[in-house]
Amino acid sequence: MRRNRLYRVLGLALLGFALGVALTQSQQELDPYKEAERQRELFRQTAGILPGELYAAQGEELFYAKRGPRQVSLEACDFGLGPGKLEGALTQLPRYFADTRRVEDLETRIVSCMVRLQGFRLEDIKRDEVKALVAYVASKSSEMPINVVPRTSQEVAMYNLGRELWYHRAGDRDMNCAICHESYAGRKVRLSPVRSPRQGLSNEWPAYRFEADKLYTLQDRIAFCYESIGIRPPVYYSEPYIALSMYMLAEATKGKNRFTEMPGFTR
Amino acid sequence: MKGKRLLFWFVVAVLLGVALSQQSPFQQRVNQAIQSGGPEFQRSMQQDPDQALCSQYRDRLPAELVPAFLERQRKLIKYPADGKLMGDWKKGEELFTNPRKGNCYACHTGDPREAGAGNMGPGLVGYGARGTSEAVVKYTYDKIYNAWASMPCSLMYRAGYHGILSPEDTAHIVAFLLDPASPVNANLKR
Ligand code: HEC
Ligand code: HEC
Repeated sequence: MRRNRLYRVLGLALLGFALGVALTQSQQELDPYKEAERQRELFRQTAGILPGELYAAQGEELFYAKRGPRQVSLEACDFGLGPGKLEGALTQLPRYFADTRRVEDLETRIVSCMVRLQGFRLEDIKRDEVKALVAYVASKSSEMPINVVPRTSQEVAMYNLGRELWYHRAGDRDMNCAICHESYAGRKVRLSPVRSPRQGLSNEWPAYRFEADKLYTLQDRIAFCYESIGIRPPVYYSEPYIALSMYMLAEATKGKNRFTEMPGFTR
Repeated sequence: MKGKRLLFWFVVAVLLGVALSQQSPFQQRVNQAIQSGGPEFQRSMQQDPDQALCSQYRDRLPAELVPAFLERQRKLIKYPADGKLMGDWKKGEELFTNPRKGNCYACHTGDPREAGAGNMGPGLVGYGARGTSEAVVKYTYDKIYNAWASMPCSLMYRAGYHGILSPEDTAHIVAFLLDPASPVNANLKR
């Protein structure tokens, strides 16, 4: 029932979006930040709610529903601050978890809880549900300072792995993350301004991207950059994502950055 | 006696070979992580030796490695069969703009009327002011075909070396930048 209402609101929101696009067609060469702000206001006015909030609401339902073969909720899932403690959970992820003996980011942690607590089989877990859950858990870290500091040997190893991938040049566009997001940070690819991790790169995810009309998690955003430089992205929940997120968010922590509103709203 | 000595040297050679081909434990760990990303990712992350060198030195090669690097990259440049390094600027314009081909507007200005060009590379509006001497034409051709032959580990990718632009394509783009009739040079005094 509640789900139906959600989708109706979502439909309305999409209508608002289409209208917004139609209205912007005449304007050219906009400041991308101002444009995001404008699109956000349009949503607020036409739908009364942001798409990210809709995803988070859907995630909240999934979080508390008794689901999976074991018919339990995710309330016992420990994101690093204790079972069910969600306030600020995103700010300290990725981190090492003794129960899985792995360093996990938010997405991977949700999946491992769905497997261990609810009894789902990995191959039965729907990506869209994970994304909604990510949006919900992240919404409890809105505008908080990022606090990713590698401490355990596993976390330090993951950070070093991330740094190595960050500099790994490959593909027929000869790229790595560093050359754009470090050497040339502050410049633009076409109209898009590029940031470095110290400047806060990766602090707005998960976010609704109005240009794509979809929710992107940090893994989705990294995959998008890999695709744009001609490299086939890693499979979801694999180590390259966790390592790169660890590296970027630890550097963003050194730069004393905060998360934006969560879920974010961006181009 | 002789056989034994031969065997000894054979064993030494094998052990030495194994030792030399061993990757460091860290490199093995990196490869393992890349492998965990799946076979398609693993395949796209394979490096040629100079991509690996740029990664190792974080895109800043030590001075003593630069001359040999440039020499290796220069050897990779191929030229059109007819030897003409300046083609048709109109064809060049399409290749320069096409995101699947040159994709040059991602980083450079060109035709000043093109909105929203990137600025990671130097602006190319009025590039033709340098004239069309043999040296200028060759420098421009070589830069576009293989940017690493003049600047090790440049952000600019090696379009010709990777086969994204053929030698003929490259010559058309040279014309787009240097031909006085090209819109890139519309603002120059004739
Ligand atoms: C060719 C240059 C280039 C390369 C190489 C590149 N990116 Fe990006 N990246 C961009 C651009 C352009 C954007 C979009 C910026 C915007 O619109 O805010 C972006 C956006 C991002 C974002 C989200 C923007 C933000 O501010 O949070 C993340 C995260 C990111 N890139 C990570 C990576 C990672 C990890 C790699 C290496 C696998 C990589 N990028 C490689 C150009 C690049
Ligand atoms: C990812 C960004 C990027 C892309 C894409 C790119 N370039 Fe570049 N380009 C640069 C950078 C950075 C430099 C300066 C460093 C160097 O010389 O390698 C440069 C240098 C140049 C120069 C030398 C400029 C001078 O003043 O001597 C030319 C010519 C050039 N690029 C043409 C092109 C053309 C043509 C294309 C499309 C086929 C292209 N570039 C694509 C980044 C880029």
